Amino acid sequence: MSVFYFVAFLSIFFALMTIFTKNPVHSVLYLVITFFTFTVHYILLNAQFLAVVNFIVYMGAIMVLFLFVLMLLNLNKDTEPLKSNLVKFMGVIAGMCLLVTLAASFRLLQISDPVVLKNPDIGLVSNLGKVLFSDFLLPFEISSILLLTAMVGAVLLAKNDPKKV
Amino acid sequence: MITLTHFLIVGACLFSIGLYAVMARRNAIMVLVGIELMINAAVLNLVAFGRYDSEHYGGQAFALFAIVLAAASVAVALAIILNVYRHYKTINPEDINHLKD
Amino acid sequence: MSAIITLSLLAILVLYLGLFKARRALLPVSLLGLVATVVLYGVQWGKTAEPLYSGMVLFDHFAVVFSVVCVILTILVLLLSKDYFDKSSPHVAEYYALLLFSLTGAVLVVSFHNLAMLFIGIEIMSVALYILAGIRKKDFASNEAALKYFLMGAYSTGFLLFGIALLYGASGSFDLAAIKEYVVSNPQGISPLFYAGILLLIVSLAFKLGAAPFHFWTPDVYDGSPILITIFMATVVKTAAIAGFLRLFYFCFIPLQDFWVPVLLVMTIITLFVGNLTAIVQQSVKRMLAYSSISHAGYLLFAIVAIGATSANSVLFYVTAYSLSTIIGFGSLILVKRATGSEHFEAFNGLAKKNPYLSLAIAIAMLSLAGIPLTAGFVGKFMMFSGVLADYQVLLVVLAVINAAMGIFYYFRVIVAMYFKPLDRDAIVVSGPYRVVFFLAALITLLLGVYPAWLTGLI
Repeated sequence: MSVFYFVAFLSIFFALMTIFTKNPVHSVLYLVITFFTFTVHYILLNAQFLAVVNFIVYMGAIMVLFLFVLMLLNLNKDTEPLKSNLVKFMGVIAGMCLLVTLAASFRLLQISDPVVLKNPDIGLVSNLGKVLFSDFLLPFEISSILLLTAMVGAVLLAKNDPKKV
Repeated sequence: MITLTHFLIVGACLFSIGLYAVMARRNAIMVLVGIELMINAAVLNLVAFGRYDSEHYGGQAFALFAIVLAAASVAVALAIILNVYRHYKTINPEDINHLKD
Repeated sequence: MSAIITLSLLAILVLYLGLFKARRALLPVSLLGLVATVVLYGVQWGKTAEPLYSGMVLFDHFAVVFSVVCVILTILVLLLSKDYFDKSSPHVAEYYALLLFSLTGAVLVVSFHNLAMLFIGIEIMSVALYILAGIRKKDFASNEAALKYFLMGAYSTGFLLFGIALLYGASGSFDLAAIKEYVVSNPQGISPLFYAGILLLIVSLAFKLGAAPFHFWTPDVYDGSPILITIFMATVVKTAAIAGFLRLFYFCFIPLQDFWVPVLLVMTIITLFVGNLTAIVQQSVKRMLAYSSISHAGYLLFAIVAIGATSANSVLFYVTAYSLSTIIGFGSLILVKRATGSEHFEAFNGLAKKNPYLSLAIAIAMLSLAGIPLTAGFVGKFMMFSGVLADYQVLLVVLAVINAAMGIFYYFRVIVAMYFKPLDRDAIVVSGPYRVVFFLAALITLLLGVYPAWLTGLI
């Protein structure tokens, strides 16, 4: 129980650090820690396979990609603070409104039984695999189209055109 | 006692933090970071709700799709940002405004 | 289902053709594949539709009709693409493949029966378009458009995902039938999560549709992208977005009408005024058409405000009329820009003397967009307005009529420039495929304006 409070505190703390740090590289590093706390959340929620996927895909692949691009663009310097206070103000208002609404609707939630293990095997890869290849077969196959699209697109955009065709 | 609500509130906080990062838009990479936070908050919610869907495990399967698809679109996004930087020498969305009325 | 498989295989085949440098075969093969897709849909017509693959997709009449509309619009766009891409880059095959992938996503969006398919469909459709918007790598505007489109698109994906998560939390399922069951069986005890989920979904779908107050990316992206991609965004993507929107709300959320109709009503009114007022002051035809597409998103939302059995028909009619005219509008802009290098209203001056047929087609398109009788646009607007009137939303109709009048003003600027502003200019060469597309689009616009019954009884 105290693990949850500790991890939840860390999640929010590092998420705040992510968006308020001036140096983009530090900010991305804080994001890595935030994602690590998510991995712990998933384990607490008994989603072991998802925790592993999150660890590998987000902390491994995506964050390396982010850092790589930051280094490539040589952005390892402080970004100047935001010019317009109005936008900042609007951002705060919008964020707070949403937070209050969501929190209020969660408070009203009926199903507040404690998170206990109804079915301890729920997050194991064999069960998840069965679901993926029975109920979610079509989305699973279709998402290959998305991956192909993204691959073609990323290569197409990042590749240098030859000077003269 | 840890209930579903606790997880949902963590998710809502992170969603709002991500939303703020997008609105404040310091540079394109930071906007992308904000979007990633929002998507992760949604994934956390999906997993938390998935606990109550004991027959189908739908929440976790959907969360898996969300993670994979988000990863794919990040690759495209970074390619676009690289191209933009080559031309504009900046990735601050406020300075990239050749198109306007 | 065979149609979706055909589409995705076709895209992969096109990629391979590019690998083997069979550049001349690209367009015929793509067109042939798309025609085959239409035929496959036609075979499916009339059979009783069952949800397939554990309720993931449902090819009912609604899905089939809107899919066919999307595919036919793509055929028209591809016809315009002959020698459009060749100049800009050597990777033509990839562009065709990406357009086909995007179309596959659009087809999934109109035939989903599970929120997972909605999510994946929207993602496929959008990711392919983020890339296509930025394919002119050396062009500032194209890069900027791609960045803006991506940032706003990914932002709306965040909302979509969170909204779906909340709906799932409340109802315990992603399946439309199960969600409907939840709504119908607990009329009193709908969880607050469900309402929050509906709001987030409205936000995200309004982003995709380009409806105010989430429209601000539309003009820049439409303006900056290559015109051909803009045509695709303004027609196929808009069709898919409104059809998906309608499908979700018609299937699941009708019992909760009292909650979300006021929200959409306000959005519709803002969309109409923002789109029309800003379109009036534009100097560039491309931006004018971009803003006018926002206002048409507003008219399309009418069908959802007055949701009912006839909504699908009005949306089908309106979207067909709007898309055909938009293809003529932007397509002629390609030609005019090629000839004069400018996108301003002045570039159309004196066109009627030298290219009478082209001008006639443009005039028909503008009249249809403005909603003048005897064109499809008029019938579309009429169906939308009468649907809303049946729900006694008189105020909305009055505001919409004011907006339609504003629309007439800026669409007529193009016609006035073509017919009444003389200018010595060379005739624009209109190549064969362009003639075919303009002729077909103008003909269908007129025919539908006179015999609307051909399209209205379909769904």
